[in-house]
Amino acid sequence: MTHIVRTKQLTRAYRGKEVVSNVNLNIKQGEIYGMLGPNGAGKTTVMKMITNLVKPTAGEIEIFGERLTDTSFQLLARMGTIIERPIFYEKLTARENLELHCEYMGYHNKKSIDEAFELVNLKGIEKKAVKEFSLGMKQRLGIARAITTKPELLILDEPINGLDPIGIKELRDLFKMLCKHYGITILISSHILGEVELIADTIAVMNDGKLLQEVSMDHVAKQTAEYIEITTNESSKAAFVLEKHLHISNVRITDEGQIRIYDCPIPQSELMKVLVLQDVAIEAVHKKKGSLEDYFLSILNGGGIVA
Amino acid sequence: MLKLIKLEMRKFRIMSYIRAAMIANVVILGLICFISLNTEAKDEMLFSSYDMVFSIIDTLVRGTYIVFASVLISRLVIDEFRERSITVLFMYPIPRKKLIAAKLLVVVLFTLVADLAANLFVGFGFAVLNLFTSVIPESLTWSVAAKSLLTVVMSALATSFLSLIPLYFGMRKHSGAATIVSSLIVVALVCQNVDGFTLYSVIAVPIGLALLGAVVAYLSIRNIEHVDC
Repeated sequence: MTHIVRTKQLTRAYRGKEVVSNVNLNIKQGEIYGMLGPNGAGKTTVMKMITNLVKPTAGEIEIFGERLTDTSFQLLARMGTIIERPIFYEKLTARENLELHCEYMGYHNKKSIDEAFELVNLKGIEKKAVKEFSLGMKQRLGIARAITTKPELLILDEPINGLDPIGIKELRDLFKMLCKHYGITILISSHILGEVELIADTIAVMNDGKLLQEVSMDHVAKQTAEYIEITTNESSKAAFVLEKHLHISNVRITDEGQIRIYDCPIPQSELMKVLVLQDVAIEAVHKKKGSLEDYFLSILNGGGIVA
Repeated sequence: MLKLIKLEMRKFRIMSYIRAAMIANVVILGLICFISLNTEAKDEMLFSSYDMVFSIIDTLVRGTYIVFASVLISRLVIDEFRERSITVLFMYPIPRKKLIAAKLLVVVLFTLVADLAANLFVGFGFAVLNLFTSVIPESLTWSVAAKSLLTVVMSALATSFLSLIPLYFGMRKHSGAATIVSSLIVVALVCQNVDGFTLYSVIAVPIGLALLGAVVAYLSIRNIEHVDC
């Protein structure tokens, strides 16, 4: 699989303090790559380094197979970006802003501006000055600007900030569509786990400037699979019964003494029946599903994987 | 580069500045007319010859357009850094040096053209006024006009470059106010007149300051490719 972006030991320090430390990202062509992390994790700085706005202190960045240097201007023509917040020339209209963008990018297909307005649902208000736009509208306009030149790589830093739930869903669908139909690779950062969970193919979890994990969502889905949680005072005995009588070994005993059974091959009622027959005192039984939030928090807390 | 200059002019709606410059020219002409018709000025022999009048006009125009240039620098350059729109600009597939150079060229060219146009407009306006009021008894000869024109062209060239000096102060903290205040200091330096003696008439001063302006412009773009935004 071709990589659109690769970083090797990417590091950025300010006054001796590393805000991004030895980050190795591998973004594959045609995927949606989600960067997760709390505020100050270093996500924006990584994005700024990829777009050449901030220069790395150490390490290197490879984009479209070429090493990024201070003078790699031509690579920027293949990207669409929103970094930090969408910034515009506020006195100009939305259309004028996009026309200027196309001129600077050397992109001369005027139809693409109308298409972009349509895709982000801003049709009809493109003649309004940007200063009259709400934050949500600016976000949409920022996305319109980023996609109007049909880039190969879309870099979106917290793109759903300020959007209402309907707007979030519309943009989520738009990102999926851009990825699927136009083959655009998307690097997206967010601290809203649920959003990333819904669209990303791969996630990178960052904290304190470090990349804690880069993992495919398929893998996360396995880690956050459904499980049955049994609360009992005799967890060791229960585990023994499960193993001996039901041949269930995918079992984990939590610190609180609860038993979690993953990929349970038999119905819950059957399970209960066997345990009761073997005199295991059961206090409660729940069917649960691990969320990305659990997974994310477990990585941030430095623990293993908690499902 | 021409395309970048055009884009800059479009982005900042240069027409509004051209209109403002026209208004400034009318105000300067009004001021010159008012002073020339004032009896005290006549008594002080301020308007005794065309040479003198053109010199006064040039000084007024110079002062006006140095401040005007600082406003342009503030809008075209400083505001882009302060409002972070420079990050948008620096993500385009164009060398940063070219982008900033285009902005500075807009300032230099605008100041040059506006300075020349203002001198011609106000000078011509005064000459017409003089036809009716005879403030200056002598008539305007071709030789006086040509000599004054040459002086104005040289002065406008120097003014257009020295008007970049405030860029240095404005860029330090990305402050529009610092840019404009420093332009007033430059005006105080190059537009003063003590008993008929002006610093600007010492040829080394305008040349030196114009070179300083060019150096400031160079310094502002020298390392621009390597800095963080």
